[in-house]
Amino acid sequence: MSFVVSPTSVDEAIAFLVDNPEARPMSGGASLVAMKNARLIEASHFVSLARIDSLRGIRRNADGSVTIGGMVPHRDTAACDLLDGDLRMIRQAAGQIANRVVRNMGTIGGAVANADPAADYLPVLVCADAQVEITGPGGKRLLPIRDYLVDWYETALEPAEIVTGIALPPAGSGPSVYRKLARTPGDFATVSVACARDGDGVRVAVGACGPAPLRAPEAERALAGQLDDPAAVAAFCEALVALADPVDDVRGSAEYRLTLIPRMVAAAIRDVTGGL
Amino acid sequence: MAGKEVFALRINGREREVFARSDATLLEVLRDDLALRAAKRGCNQGVCGACTVLLDGVPVRGCLTLAGACTGREVTTLEGLAEDPITRALQETMIVSGGVQCGFCTSGMLVTARDLVAQTVTPTEGDIRKALSGNLCRCTGYVRIVEAVTDAVVALSQANTDTREAIQ
Repeated sequence: MSFVVSPTSVDEAIAFLVDNPEARPMSGGASLVAMKNARLIEASHFVSLARIDSLRGIRRNADGSVTIGGMVPHRDTAACDLLDGDLRMIRQAAGQIANRVVRNMGTIGGAVANADPAADYLPVLVCADAQVEITGPGGKRLLPIRDYLVDWYETALEPAEIVTGIALPPAGSGPSVYRKLARTPGDFATVSVACARDGDGVRVAVGACGPAPLRAPEAERALAGQLDDPAAVAAFCEALVALADPVDDVRGSAEYRLTLIPRMVAAAIRDVTGGL
Repeated sequence: MAGKEVFALRINGREREVFARSDATLLEVLRDDLALRAAKRGCNQGVCGACTVLLDGVPVRGCLTLAGACTGREVTTLEGLAEDPITRALQETMIVSGGVQCGFCTSGMLVTARDLVAQTVTPTEGDIRKALSGNLCRCTGYVRIVEAVTDAVVALSQANTDTREAIQ
């Protein structure tokens, strides 16, 4: 049995979480309430963040960077014109989460806090070098998402901290793409790939193949200038396969996922090079 | 009973006082406390769509929404859409096309389809299938449901033309 409280400011929410260690913050509820219904979690209180106005909206800051509020639903992210160029993949990912009705409920803060390794947002945010804006009793901190994602469903969030936003670098002009292979539209990904053009190279992140999206910065540097060389692309794909630690589950075997990675990554690179 | 609270919800345009656990889902309160039984409890996991209702006019899953978080917000169930012209048109075409078999998914289908038709001028078959992809039907194979939505769009645009002509 839990109570529901609906604070109207971040400070109020955090103060409540500090005073009630068994309370849990709740954003859209799309995953959390499903877990509650399945009796997988317990809480003294659900602290709904739905009435905190400062967590809403997507804004471009003076330096060109873009901040997505923690309570922005997937529906709004999927339709946001500020996410263009090499940030466009974030819109594409948001628009492929679950279905129309769930996209009205689920939020980017909730998805990042839950950190499901197969979630659509994680590879695009890792590919975009996003930072997670975390607010807690000690104030606000920004953490690169690659440091924020610690292990399977484990993040760097401390007790009484909440994800208040996602900070994205200024949009680059290069195209970007999110490719998702799923059993059926709206399912979690079997494998997903985010790819953004960056000068004469690419940034690539692979989702659902380990505790956090795979990223190979050294291999990305080695590939720069050689995007039209099939052997170089193949070597790059192998570097990502070597980092993978997939599991067997209902969406596919680990072996199947390893087979998909090079195919999907090569296709994503073709998408952002316009077939050099 | 222990753990119950009294709270006020605005449902289908009326203020309702509810005595329930504040972590009860909106779906439980609608069905068990208020006897509004259009929304169905299928999976209770947000997957099947049978519990779809409107919260501040936006379709959400009743089973994934905690009732205690809905105070001060406007809840609309299919019962509250009984006079809505788009819903009426969809109900007619669902009957004519045979889009209803056991009927368990129908309420959720109607609430979701109504939102699509209200937001999209002329949805294609692809748009309809995509919009309804989060509403599962185990009877019809979907063909007749998609047909019903397509036919409702045609009927509504015909009705609009007739109204315009009548005004002129």
